[in-house]
Amino acid sequence: MLPAKIEQYIRPSSPSEAIAAMQAAEEGEAIFLAGGQSVMQAIKARMMQPSCIIDLQDLADLKGIDANDGLTIGAMTRYVEIAEADNVPAAFGALQDAAQHVGDRQVRNRGTIGGSCCWNYVASCMPAVCLGLGATMKLIDAQGATRDVPAEEFFIAPLETARDEFEILMSLHWPTVEHDTGSAYKKWGLVKDALPVVGVCISLAVDSLGTCISASVSLSGLEDGAQLAPAASEALVGQVVDEKSILAAMNAAADAASVQGDAAADTEYRKQLIRTLGVDVGLLALARAQGQGER
Amino acid sequence: MKTINVTINGEAYEENVPERMLLVDFIRDHVGLTGTHVGCTYEGVCGACTVHLDNEAVKSCLMLAVQADGHEITTVEGLARDGLTPLQAAFRDKHALQCGYCTPGILMNMSEFLEKYPAPSDEEIRAALIGNLCRCTGYVHIVKAVRTAIETTKG
Repeated sequence: MLPAKIEQYIRPSSPSEAIAAMQAAEEGEAIFLAGGQSVMQAIKARMMQPSCIIDLQDLADLKGIDANDGLTIGAMTRYVEIAEADNVPAAFGALQDAAQHVGDRQVRNRGTIGGSCCWNYVASCMPAVCLGLGATMKLIDAQGATRDVPAEEFFIAPLETARDEFEILMSLHWPTVEHDTGSAYKKWGLVKDALPVVGVCISLAVDSLGTCISASVSLSGLEDGAQLAPAASEALVGQVVDEKSILAAMNAAADAASVQGDAAADTEYRKQLIRTLGVDVGLLALARAQGQGER
Repeated sequence: MKTINVTINGEAYEENVPERMLLVDFIRDHVGLTGTHVGCTYEGVCGACTVHLDNEAVKSCLMLAVQADGHEITTVEGLARDGLTPLQAAFRDKHALQCGYCTPGILMNMSEFLEKYPAPSDEEIRAALIGNLCRCTGYVHIVKAVRTAIETTKG
């Protein structure tokens, strides 16, 4: 289908200008557009009929990857830039795993990490990875004041986040890791690189003997949207990380999660995907934590 | 309506367009370059509308024309300057098309892909083709053609 009538197209050059445009629009009539690879679909299907589009493409401060002090990724940074970056530490390998397999090349050339997080589609990769890696989301308001929101509070439910309508997501940040840390993400979809039927993200910190100091496991593709799997994280801490301990943790995750059955996969199959993908992902995260593993 | 300035295949256009017009419709109906195709009723899944936006492959049905204001676009008509490019010639020689409907999008995707990755494996070529649907060839001849283009370009 084609979009319903759009009265106004605005391309602001700063966040404050963008928010002012949102405030000037009638309630519910305007929408911020980042890469537009999901939102344009919704607009064409007329699920959304905004009369005003506020295009964020010129917000240069929201673009780029800075790995000098921890890791900071601007909200308007595109998948292709994350996928191809050579300065992302192994601790955040899951981000690159996810970015490399979103949709297709054309979509990765335009889609942004911030757009994906703010849209928070029920089956998407970035929200789950940002949750699993414990991102801090920096929001800016009309006065230029910023607030930091932990990913766990930012992602509320599918298509719902803690971002106020007069706020813009500026960046995602992670502090420098203190221990040997690695992370990985993998998904299974109906065709290669499709939306996740199930995806698993695991971040691990290990000591020199391979014992897990801290762990964070998150899941994508489930009916409640991106979510942490605390049962799995708790099961891993204190254990030597190997196939057996990861499988035990993923069993706990599969048991604890609310797992839907649908045309793509029934409940038992999804639970099996959580276990199988989880073991692959956990072993890759371990290898990266120990300075090995392909990137 | 909004006035936009877009460069397409090296030619500057200043046009008045409705805000809701998709970039692909602007290219086809306004500018009259009908080599860029619509294969999936604008669902963003078939890739036949792939063009270069500032030298990167994007789907022109997933953008509004107004978003392209100030940018540079290349369509399939812009590829052949002095005769066919090695990629186009390889598509002809290796029978990489049957009905040809998807071909412009595949050429635009693959031409940018090969600029960026001059020596991909067959598996990487296939992964790069995910965003382009072809219902005739089964992709075997397409991958062969891309491989041939790589070898011809190497000289």
